[in-house]
Amino acid sequence: MSIDLSRREFIQLGAATAGALAVGQLLPPMVVQAAQEAGMLNTSGDGTIPSMCEMCVWRCGLLAKVRDGRVVKLDGNPDHPHSRGHLCVRGQSGLFNTYDPDRVLHPLIRVGRRGEGRFRRVSWDEALDYTAERMLEIKQTYGPEAMVFSSTHNLSQVQFENLLYAYGSPNYGTQRSLCFNAMIVANLMTYGIEEPERIYDDQLQYIILTGRNLMEAVSTSETGDLSAAIARGAHVVYLDPRFTKTAAKATEWLPIKPGTDLAFHLALLNVIIGEDLYDHAFVTSYTVGFEQLAQEVAAYTPEWAAAITEIDADRIRRIAREFAAAAPHALAHNGWRTSNFINSFQTQRAITILNALIGNWNVTLRAGGGEASGALGTIPQPAYPRSSAQRLDHVPSRFPVVPLKLGVFQELRDSILSGEPYQAHGWFIARQNPVMSLPDRARTLQAFEKMDFIVTVDILVNDTAWFSDVILPEASYLERYDPLNVVGDRAYLRQPVIEPQGEARSALWIYKQLGERLGLGDYFQYTDEQDYINQQLAPLGVSLEDIRSQGYVDLPPSEAGGFEWNTPSGRIELFSDTLARVGFSGVPVWEPPPEPPQGEFYLLTGKVAQSTQFGTQNNQMLHKYADEPRLWLNEGVAADRGLVDGDWVEVSSEVGVGHIRLLVTPAIRPDCVYLTPGFGHLSRGLTTAFGLGASDSALHVTYTDPVSGSQALSQTFVTVRKV
Amino acid sequence: MTMLRKIRHELNTMPKFVYITAALTVFGLSIALYRMFVGLGATTNLSKEFPWGIWISFDLATVALSGGAFTLAALVYVFQFEDLHPATRPTVLAGLLGYSSVMVILLFDLGRWDRFYNVFLHPNVSSALLEVSWCITAYTLILVYELSPVLLQNSRLKCLLPIIKKYTVPIVIAGVTLSTMHQSSLGTMFIIMSPRLHPLWSSMLLPVFFLISSFASGISLVVAGSSVSHWLFGRSLKIKTMAKLSWFIPWILAFYLVIKFGELVIAGEWDLLFSSGNYSLLFWAEIIFGVLIPIGMFAFRQVRFSRTASLIGALFIMGGTVLNRFDVTWFSIASVNGEVYTPHWMEIAILVGVAAGVVTVYSLIARYFPVYEETEPHQLPVEVRPFENSHAAGD
Amino acid sequence: MTHQPNNPRYGFLIDASYCIDCRSCMVACSVENNVPMDSTRIWIKETGITGTYPDLKRFTAPFHCMHCKDPSCVSACTVSALTRNDDGIVSYNQDICIGCRYCVYACPFGVPNYQWDEPLPLVIKCDMCFARLGEGQQPACAATCPTGAIQFGRYEDMLAEAHRKINERPDKYVQHIYGEEENGGTATLYISPVPFEELGFPIAGTTSPAYSNRLVTEGTPMVAGAMLVGLTGVYLTIKHLREEAECDRVEAAKEKAAQSAGEEQ
Ligand SMILES: Nc1nc2c(c(=O)[nH]1)N[C@H]1C(S)=C(S)[C@@H](COP(=O)(O)OP(=O)(O)OC[C@H]3O[C@@H](n4cnc5c(=O)[nH]c(N)nc54)[C@H](O)[C@@H]3O)O[C@H]1N2
Ligand SMILES: Nc1nc2c(c(=O)[nH]1)N[C@H]1C(S)=C(S)[C@@H](COP(=O)(O)OP(=O)(O)OC[C@H]3O[C@@H](n4cnc5c(=O)[nH]c(N)nc54)[C@H](O)[C@@H]3O)O[C@H]1N2
Ligand code: SF4
Ligand code: SF4
Ligand code: SF4
Ligand code: SF4
Ligand code: SF4
Ligand SMILES: [Mo]
Repeated sequence: MSIDLSRREFIQLGAATAGALAVGQLLPPMVVQAAQEAGMLNTSGDGTIPSMCEMCVWRCGLLAKVRDGRVVKLDGNPDHPHSRGHLCVRGQSGLFNTYDPDRVLHPLIRVGRRGEGRFRRVSWDEALDYTAERMLEIKQTYGPEAMVFSSTHNLSQVQFENLLYAYGSPNYGTQRSLCFNAMIVANLMTYGIEEPERIYDDQLQYIILTGRNLMEAVSTSETGDLSAAIARGAHVVYLDPRFTKTAAKATEWLPIKPGTDLAFHLALLNVIIGEDLYDHAFVTSYTVGFEQLAQEVAAYTPEWAAAITEIDADRIRRIAREFAAAAPHALAHNGWRTSNFINSFQTQRAITILNALIGNWNVTLRAGGGEASGALGTIPQPAYPRSSAQRLDHVPSRFPVVPLKLGVFQELRDSILSGEPYQAHGWFIARQNPVMSLPDRARTLQAFEKMDFIVTVDILVNDTAWFSDVILPEASYLERYDPLNVVGDRAYLRQPVIEPQGEARSALWIYKQLGERLGLGDYFQYTDEQDYINQQLAPLGVSLEDIRSQGYVDLPPSEAGGFEWNTPSGRIELFSDTLARVGFSGVPVWEPPPEPPQGEFYLLTGKVAQSTQFGTQNNQMLHKYADEPRLWLNEGVAADRGLVDGDWVEVSSEVGVGHIRLLVTPAIRPDCVYLTPGFGHLSRGLTTAFGLGASDSALHVTYTDPVSGSQALSQTFVTVRKV
Repeated sequence: MTMLRKIRHELNTMPKFVYITAALTVFGLSIALYRMFVGLGATTNLSKEFPWGIWISFDLATVALSGGAFTLAALVYVFQFEDLHPATRPTVLAGLLGYSSVMVILLFDLGRWDRFYNVFLHPNVSSALLEVSWCITAYTLILVYELSPVLLQNSRLKCLLPIIKKYTVPIVIAGVTLSTMHQSSLGTMFIIMSPRLHPLWSSMLLPVFFLISSFASGISLVVAGSSVSHWLFGRSLKIKTMAKLSWFIPWILAFYLVIKFGELVIAGEWDLLFSSGNYSLLFWAEIIFGVLIPIGMFAFRQVRFSRTASLIGALFIMGGTVLNRFDVTWFSIASVNGEVYTPHWMEIAILVGVAAGVVTVYSLIARYFPVYEETEPHQLPVEVRPFENSHAAGD
Repeated sequence: MTHQPNNPRYGFLIDASYCIDCRSCMVACSVENNVPMDSTRIWIKETGITGTYPDLKRFTAPFHCMHCKDPSCVSACTVSALTRNDDGIVSYNQDICIGCRYCVYACPFGVPNYQWDEPLPLVIKCDMCFARLGEGQQPACAATCPTGAIQFGRYEDMLAEAHRKINERPDKYVQHIYGEEENGGTATLYISPVPFEELGFPIAGTTSPAYSNRLVTEGTPMVAGAMLVGLTGVYLTIKHLREEAECDRVEAAKEKAAQSAGEEQ
């Protein structure tokens, strides 16, 4: 009865798709029918269907080439600003996720011990009834707050949030505190905007990238923009302890000492203010707190910073002058995964302020369209029950300036362990792999052990699903509808390009089904996915059928180019009263990060172009073209320690160990090692990825930035020895 | 019953080495079979950088040596040195077996052996390899034809002999032409690979070099062959006849020497002779052992009239030619991104197997068919034939 | 006899200064053309990391079939599995190939790949996404490249663009367009900030060996004809001379006999 997940199969694209067709036929071919009516597929089922990539959160537009019910190729959609006709290597490999032989295509209920990987295939009804039953049980016995929900950014997340708020739990964990809290909170404190949009126009002359590895941590359009800017001769300063592929393209690579970016940027501010290089007009009319700022940074001279950052003073001074000279056609990039050190928030503040001082607003930075748009219709629903219980991640109590929707995931995990202020008993996880993405994997697994019930919604048996009690199979992004996605002044459509394989279903369907079984049907007033989208489109006077073949609908243009900000003062806040009032410094101040003891190294993480987070290492096409995961070690250091390239080494931190092969290279600071992230999986249900590489999550120690709640992923120190 | 005893008797009287060669053959061929199932990757060290290996080298060397067959045929039938006639049968047989072995190896070498026939269905006329494959096939058939008398002589099909004899000359002429073609085309094959070939060997004249060296080594094979069979089977060419044959050798080699160096001088690659390290060594090895020494030896009457000396001289020449073919097909090929080729043991096993097969078959045929009919058992008194001295060349 | 190769209709312009080694082109190619998992039609050449910390450099460039004007592979191919069409696209017909691997050796750029681990292997080689061109699409690799390192268009335009780029930025690019002359000119053109040898590009001559090859191979039939005639001639002459010599001797003998007879009377 129980099924063995750890089997090994190879996709022969033809074969796999043929198989897919077979299962597809179990259902009425609704996808094909709809596509044919919209004139996208001919009678023999061939044609091209526009949709959206979901291999990462950038969501490029794609054109799916379909041949009799099988998707055979994905191309970038020229009509989408994120793809402009291109797809990155992960987007190109997308159909190998959808056709992965390891796809979970039927609801599963655990039969063995947790982590044993023995599951029973069940019907949707059984799976949903069982899940609802357990969730209600927890709600009745411990209250709704005892049920934890967590999910990583995705288009149906609105309905996920709808489900958890309707259920009445305040405990919501997202990837954000592991990713960009520092950046988002800094932007909110400075601009009152989560993330201003970056403008790469023809005049952009000077770019400072603080560990934004755009050439490997790819966002197709922005990677292209940077590439074009470099081709036009823009000056690119790139700060990174590693010589990445971005460093290779940059005008100058600064192998800065980890965690000292704050000092570097403070020194830039020092020079720009000290030498009176800032945009007076802009500063006086659009900012507040210049005096406090000037006072604070006066001490942060390039000479001071040089000693800390290991970048010489003249260079810092030169860069400051060049940056100011290029103003306003200069951009200090905020970065994205800014979860590096407990001072990362201050670093981010310094960067946002640097931009403000040269007055590049509406030139290289502007208020982005954002994802929610008033123009779209919303689905009617009753008000949510008020939850009196405080959140387990101590937002806002301990993290007053962290928005609820961001949260502090690692704190949530630790409260589950401590059982303080109350014990959680259930965990609902969707499109997320916290076992791998949270620091200190051992602790996360202990937290799992505290749970009476864990349910995971995924397309694969990822490491989290492996330890879950129920696995609900979602249809892949090529097999389902999602709510519309607003980019700029357009709403883009994700629509299925093939029938869902097996019994996989969209998240919209799953959440509605659960909602109804939880007695929360009123919160899910849509008959199906298509009805959902039609309700969104209603105010625009168009229907799903009208936009199918184009793949998007234009929205009434939002007026851009304004000079007001959602801060208390309505201006750009160089000094933030909000921060000051809750006991943090109102202007960025130097906070020295911890340094590794003798003989230990900073453990760095950083994306590789050929995989996304922890979710694509099982993709056979990406596996074919990706490099073997390795531990980078500086060649000089390796020589001193008698280590050679390819040696197997043991990396250990205070919380974990890993075994991995060494990459001896000049491309990293002597005091750092770098470990390819995303590998070292625990799930044997990932038959391609299992056994590859080591997990940095197992090594990472949990450190949290007190202001933004951001996890400090570069602050773990490790020893390396030959095995 | 009697049949059985006959067979047992045969087996007992069979020379022992035949058992060994037979065993090797079986072993080699079973490995070849394995290769057919698992592909070339697991069984050879061939790679994108070196898609051809020792098999091709073997093929080219063998074909060059088998050149004896057409050289001799030309001399006997076209230029009508009748008293060389006795040598043709053993030589033709050797040639036939040589070519067959090449064909067998090629079959193992071809990735899509299952479609070899496309060589005839979809020819590409500008491909040297096409010419080679066509000529070799056609020529092998002709060798069969030339040899057929030996096989038919004591059979019911005797009656065919007159007809076969009737058409021998035109067939031989065709055969000689075909051989000339493919002996040279084998050289042509490497013109298009000039980017990979070391300049010491790479040349527009490769076809000519190959042709001429195949003359020399061909004759050498006849000489050596009859010397060997003289000891092995007690039957062989008359020493006089051999001498007459080997008289050509110095002339051919001298000509080879002239154009080979002439080409280097004209191409202005003279300096490479000394400046290319191991390549220079290989080149000189070819020239000194394969050309200069033999010229020196065969210039002497005493050598030409001594079976032992001739054998040694012949071996030098054959060695030189073989080395030359290995140089062109393997040693002189520039390595790409550090890749070098050394054959996988299975490649060699298959090779040995096929070679052993050839020896086995040769011995068996020589044992059961009148291969050495016209050659004289050396214990018998010399029987004199007309014209003996009328145009005995050389002395 | 030896045909004059026309300029290709389409061409690539690949700029090594853009390439970030993301391998999107490789995946796009493999998916579009259903390339077997054990092989690839396009790969990345690289300088590796050069220099000493912290002054490091690294350059990469995608490499696929050059689509030579006078392709060595096409001349070499034993059968007609490899052909160059009027648009200058060099493509491979897997139903004809006999697996001799002559093309693999003959290609001066080391382009054709071979399925070494298949019992019945095939050659793997870029065909310029012939099928996509038919549907009015760019080749998969060029279409998807996020940095625009791979440009595709009319050959003349690509060549002009290449010249424009290296002329405008002599400080940035080496003054050489790889493929303009190489192997007699190719449809794939490269420009680079570093010498092409450093990228591991083969140093190819400016004329295709295919030409010299054809000079010989396409001449062979005539040589053969000549030989047939020649040899027959030789045979007949010698035969004739021999017979004459024979007759003379017989005549002489007769005369002798006659004389001696006369003296007796
Ligand atoms: N291919 C691919 N692209 C992706 C993703 C993916 O998984 N794969 N994920 C997407 C997501 S969710 C995110 S958040 C972004 C992340 O993209 P990025 O913001 O570029 O973040 P990372 O790639 O994680 O890390 C970037 C660099 O930070 C360096 N670094 C580490 N510590 C420090 C430090 O103290 N100072 C400085 N200056 N540098 C440091 C690392 O060496 C690394 O090279 O990428 C997005 N794009
Ligand atoms: N050690 C370490 N930790 C890190 C990072 C790091 O670089 N190193 N990076 C940090 C960053 S920047 C981030 S953003 C987080 C990301 O942390 P997570 O979001 O937890 O990790 P992901 O791998 O993105 O999880 C995505 C999951 O969704 C599944 N999935 C894919 N498509 C679908 C779908 O269509 N439907 C459903 N239901 N599931 C789907 C995948 O199988 C995968 O299991 O990790 C953070 N943590
Ligand atoms: S960046 Fe790549 S993975 Fe992310 S959405 Fe675009 S194509 Fe897909
Ligand atoms: S897609 Fe473009 S940038 Fe990426 S590797 Fe290929 S050529 Fe280079
Ligand atoms: S590059 Fe090689 S494979 Fe491509 S056409 Fe030229 S010779 Fe043929
Ligand atoms: S391997 Fe195939 S394609 Fe290549 S030369 Fe031989 S037959 Fe032609
Ligand atoms: S042109 Fe087409 S076949 Fe050739 S490499 Fe690019 S994608 Fe592959
Ligand atoms: Mo992230």
